[in-house]
Amino acid sequence: MISTELIAQSLLAGIIIGVVYALMALGITFIYSIVKMINWAMGEFYMIGSYVQYFLIAQLLGPDLWFIAAPLAAFSVFLFGYFLEPLLIKPMFTAGIERKDDYATVVTIALLLMLRSLATVLSGPYQRNPGSNLPTVMLGPLPESGARLAAAVCGLAVMALFYVLLKTTWLGLAMRAAAQSRFGVQTAGVDIFRMDRIAFGIGVALAGLAGALLAPVFLVYPTNGIVTTTKGFEIIVIGGLGSIPGALIAGLMLGIVESLGASFLAPAYQNAYGFILLLIVLLIRPSGLFGERVRQA
Amino acid sequence: MCKRSCAFGKVCPLLHREAAAKTFGSAEEGTVAGLKSIARAGVLVAALGLMGGALHADNEPITIGLIIPLSPPGDPTAGQLIRRGAELAIEYYNEKGGVAAGHKLKLSVQDSQGRPEGGVAAYRRLVSEEHAIGVTGFFHSSVNLAANEVAKGMGVPTIGTQTSAAEITSKKYDVAFRTHVIDPVRVSAWLDFITQKGFKRVSLLAETSDYGVGLVDETVKQNQEKNVGLELQPMTFDRSSTDLTPLLLQVKAFKPQLLINIGVGQPMDLMIEQAATLGITPQTAMLISYDAPVRPQFWQLHPKNGAGLYFIAYYSPRQRLSDLGTWFAKAYEDKYKESPVYSSLNGFGDVAILAQAVDHAKSSNPKSIIAALEGGRFTSWAAADVTFPRAEGVYWHNWSPPVLILHYTDANQDWKGAVVVVEYAGTAAK
Repeated sequence: MISTELIAQSLLAGIIIGVVYALMALGITFIYSIVKMINWAMGEFYMIGSYVQYFLIAQLLGPDLWFIAAPLAAFSVFLFGYFLEPLLIKPMFTAGIERKDDYATVVTIALLLMLRSLATVLSGPYQRNPGSNLPTVMLGPLPESGARLAAAVCGLAVMALFYVLLKTTWLGLAMRAAAQSRFGVQTAGVDIFRMDRIAFGIGVALAGLAGALLAPVFLVYPTNGIVTTTKGFEIIVIGGLGSIPGALIAGLMLGIVESLGASFLAPAYQNAYGFILLLIVLLIRPSGLFGERVRQA
Repeated sequence: MCKRSCAFGKVCPLLHREAAAKTFGSAEEGTVAGLKSIARAGVLVAALGLMGGALHADNEPITIGLIIPLSPPGDPTAGQLIRRGAELAIEYYNEKGGVAAGHKLKLSVQDSQGRPEGGVAAYRRLVSEEHAIGVTGFFHSSVNLAANEVAKGMGVPTIGTQTSAAEITSKKYDVAFRTHVIDPVRVSAWLDFITQKGFKRVSLLAETSDYGVGLVDETVKQNQEKNVGLELQPMTFDRSSTDLTPLLLQVKAFKPQLLINIGVGQPMDLMIEQAATLGITPQTAMLISYDAPVRPQFWQLHPKNGAGLYFIAYYSPRQRLSDLGTWFAKAYEDKYKESPVYSSLNGFGDVAILAQAVDHAKSSNPKSIIAALEGGRFTSWAAADVTFPRAEGVYWHNWSPPVLILHYTDANQDWKGAVVVVEYAGTAAK
């Protein structure tokens, strides 16, 4: 007999982890929408964010000031991405490379391996926990860790803020225009390479913020970004490449499907349920739930 | 007999000058005796040739392979601890002048990442490129099992350092040895603990690895065979899962008196934290299936939720050590400024066993080393000698240290002060 309490608890747990997943995927989808490339090293920017958060909390601020550490961690990752983009990504457009997708794949996978190895060399392979003093909170029938709830709430707030900035500011307008047509936006006098640089910085900063917020939940170690990469790509395929509302809806769907599947089917296949969802969505809508079909010449 | 401190004694293949002088130098022995000696030496040389280049060249070091997890999804902390022990064993024997009449030892370390395919590649590299005479260090059962399948063909022996899946030895491969607690012993120990505590409802949350699934199956089996009468809730999860909440919600609904945490590395840590968040612990007791809580990082990861946990351990500072073990404990404390834990002790012990096997075998030929391992008695860190009998079932080529169940009663407690709840003597063979 399945209890309604267990159903409600599993559903709530799925929603919370779904928001967290969406935050992980947001950066990937944003970078793709502007720069038209898939950043396979996104998980490593998540990892850097988590390490900066750990360092700030453990060495300088303490766990009570996590809300100051998290934006600082995200900003550090923004700066790193902002200065890295001209070195690694810009040549994709300026060096006359024909197979841009292949270039981006090779470069970002090389970056992934380098950053992961660097983290192992600098801090060792050990797990670390920045700690959290946030108390456990009752969400109806579900006890939820304060740190995880804070990550979900902050994730929702950041997504909302990000959406408003994209819709109401000049920079947002330019980015939406760049997302529609990289050539068209240049005719309007927008410096597309500067736009790429900012978009790349913002995208990786979103991953860094996810890493910082989730550091006390999923712990800090050199390969903790793997989950971001796998879940993030599942989400953007389900939600549609380049769609921000798609990332949120797909994140929620993935979290709920995994949670209910693990609770009421077989928990050993928790990760497989997301891929079943992905296959079903692709069968019905090959471009994802909110993706648009693109006609290429 | 070779007068040098040569391990080969009468059959010294290196033909040290003193031995040669005695053989040929005495006038009383006469020409016939001299010819006999030459013939004997000739036969020896021929025999050694037939052994397939059994000895390394004079100054060539003998390589011992170490396959350990140095990065996730394996357990890198365990890997580092095993490595520390193994490196000290190499130091010990090299300071003593080496093995097999002066051959220095060399350690070749490979990262398996806790993945079977990583372990297989590492084993192949060690045997074909590094010419390792034995491979040890294994921490993840699935890695050890996969490497053994290749070892069966390549012939270089493996010693499982901290792998407990039954099949590692129950397959009765000539090349497979182990010095760790096996599933039946570990399960017997926690069934003793459960009986002692009077628990009736027990949840088992295990990762889907040979280790996790093997322990769940063994617990279900022993519960039936021994008529323990436990109501069990066995569940498995993917090792890469980061959110165990859905499973733990089911555990909470089951209302067990004990939750056995059969995760290794990160999943084990996540389960401790997430079970506490859901309010399962500390009301429900949690038993960790291996000795991770003795590691120095444990309280950094679980400053609040580590208190009250029970955990399996294989070594207590109250335990009597061998002379070799005593040397190791002191050297380890001098070098790392902390007491050694089991992973380091056994990493040290297994390399020491392989070094002694080379001496026993008087050869670096893998077949001779396997024969030496099967027939010899070896000194490791524990007071008792180590043997690898061709025993029945899982006890084949297996030596087990005793199993302890320890209890952290306070936060930030030193593991050496943890309360010993159960002491279970692991048997080497039946």
